[in-house]
Amino acid sequence: MEDKKIDVLLVDDEAIVGNRLKPALTKIGCQVEVFEDSKEALKRIDEKAFDIIVTDIMMADVNGIQLLDYVQKKSIRTKVIMITGYATEALAREAMAKGAFDIISKPFRPNDLREVIAKAAKALGFKEKIVA
Amino acid sequence: MSAAELESTREQGSTIKGERRAMVETIDKGLAERPSFSFRLQLTLGFLLLFFLSMAIIIGSMTAIKRIQNKFHFFQASERFLFEVEQARRWEKNYFLYGTNLTDAAQSAGNAKILLSQSLESYQKVYPEQATQIVYNLEKYRELLEELMVLDKRSGIDPARKQLIETALRKHGAEMVEVAVSLTLKEQASINALLNLIQQIPIYALVGYLLIMMYVAYFLAQRFMKRLNFLIDSTQRIAKGDFSPIMPIRKYRDEFTTVSVAINRMLEELDARQKAMVESHKLRAIGNLTAGVAHELNNPINNMMLTAHSLLEDYKELSEEELVEMINDLINETERSRSIVRNLLDFARESESTSEPLDLGVLVRQTIKLTENQIKVSGAKIDVTVQSDLPSIRGDKQKLKQVFLNLILNAVDAVGKDGIIKIDVEKSASPGFLAVHVLDNGCGIPAHILPYIFDPFFTSKAPGKGTGLGLSVSHGIVNMHGGRITVSSDEGKYSRFTVLLPTTDIPADINRP
Repeated sequence: MEDKKIDVLLVDDEAIVGNRLKPALTKIGCQVEVFEDSKEALKRIDEKAFDIIVTDIMMADVNGIQLLDYVQKKSIRTKVIMITGYATEALAREAMAKGAFDIISKPFRPNDLREVIAKAAKALGFKEKIVA
Repeated sequence: MSAAELESTREQGSTIKGERRAMVETIDKGLAERPSFSFRLQLTLGFLLLFFLSMAIIIGSMTAIKRIQNKFHFFQASERFLFEVEQARRWEKNYFLYGTNLTDAAQSAGNAKILLSQSLESYQKVYPEQATQIVYNLEKYRELLEELMVLDKRSGIDPARKQLIETALRKHGAEMVEVAVSLTLKEQASINALLNLIQQIPIYALVGYLLIMMYVAYFLAQRFMKRLNFLIDSTQRIAKGDFSPIMPIRKYRDEFTTVSVAINRMLEELDARQKAMVESHKLRAIGNLTAGVAHELNNPINNMMLTAHSLLEDYKELSEEELVEMINDLINETERSRSIVRNLLDFARESESTSEPLDLGVLVRQTIKLTENQIKVSGAKIDVTVQSDLPSIRGDKQKLKQVFLNLILNAVDAVGKDGIIKIDVEKSASPGFLAVHVLDNGCGIPAHILPYIFDPFFTSKAPGKGTGLGLSVSHGIVNMHGGRITVSSDEGKYSRFTVLLPTTDIPADINRP
């Protein structure tokens, strides 16, 4: 597992988020796939078990919570990190109760996400590969 | 908005308020300055009319009785006269038949003359011709009697002469009796006629009273009901949110005028309250929007932050093309934030009513923009269709946005995750109006609460969730624009709200109170 890159799936309907985070995460040793359409992302989840999924909550069609539910059923190992434009306590509680790894509120710096990903990678057993 | 601008808006606001007060005062003056024709006066007039009618009837009856009395005296005098004349004639006949003396005849004729002279004046007044005839005949009769008496004393009367006098005596006597009898009969007939009349007076009086009372009752009731109905219509109009003051429509002022003036006072108060309510409800609506707006704003801010950090980290390695792309992203996202803030402020800014030509399609789309995130959160879908080439409407942009915002947020609340909200902007079936339909496939509205949904403070939402003012305020705003808002719903299936607004060719002055 040592040399294996961390497989990250990033879902956000804001194109810029994907555009900026893909290189930022690639730099720290992640293999990043980006989706703007959450339905497309679900299809990809069917095909592949990702290590980490980063998803926006508020999205048309399938929202982040539904996506979380779906992933939980598919692969219990996958860590899901939620990002949200407006985190209410109720929403945070719901996401955590459903097994989300963490919640990040927009706006955030790339390093904020990197730190959470580092924690998740550690939890998954990746060895200090990531320097946040 | 600068301080100066704010000041000018405030000034404008107070001028508009002042104008309304001045207008209401003018109308009140118009109400009060009409000549007074109060119901008290009308009642008094009715009773006076009845009193005068009664007086006329009593005076008429008394006159008739007086006349009967006079006629009766007259009749009695005639009877006595006739009696004396007939008496004289009987003595006269006896004289000719049995040769009795003539003194008694002369005595009776004399009595008749005295009686005649007593009532001659009244005879002459009523029957001048007959009176002359009687006087003439009586004089002749008495002359002949005296002549006969003189002749009698001189014994050896000429039979031919006596025959001649007898004939003349008979002729004048008969004529006199004939005239007197006809007079008596005439008097009797006229007394009977008067008696008949007196008998009929109560019947005529009753009919007269009945007619006058019916007229007075009908006339008064009619006037009274008309005022009352006018006031009832006014209150219904007010209940529907039309706060224009009651105008003087009649020529006269009465007790209801005081009520009208009081209602106008109340309307002024209601109008002010309504404005305050619209404003406070808007603040509530803004509160409801906060979550959506925060999300909406956090997205571009996040985009800017990520882009700025990427630039900071990597700008040495990035190609010029990538750098330009990132800078453009920064600019576009700033622009996006600005428009979100502007859109919200556009809606939230406190302002007096304005009226300007508006494109209803654009207005509806701008409103949807405000609620976009709310809709996204709820998971519902929104589908907008705007008919092309719609005529513009006139109105207050902010207030109309408030109406559509209410309807859309209600629809969002009503539908679940698979909800579909369909908004159509089109020409209405009623000419001169545009229609905005907001249709949702949500929980619908139960038929038993449907009539109350536009009432203030009526809410079907949980306590603390709704103020119960949204639809009431919307209703008020739409009415203010000369439009209508209607609803149709089937519980569990759909709700459709329709807002009709007049196009500019029908001017709707929104500053109209």
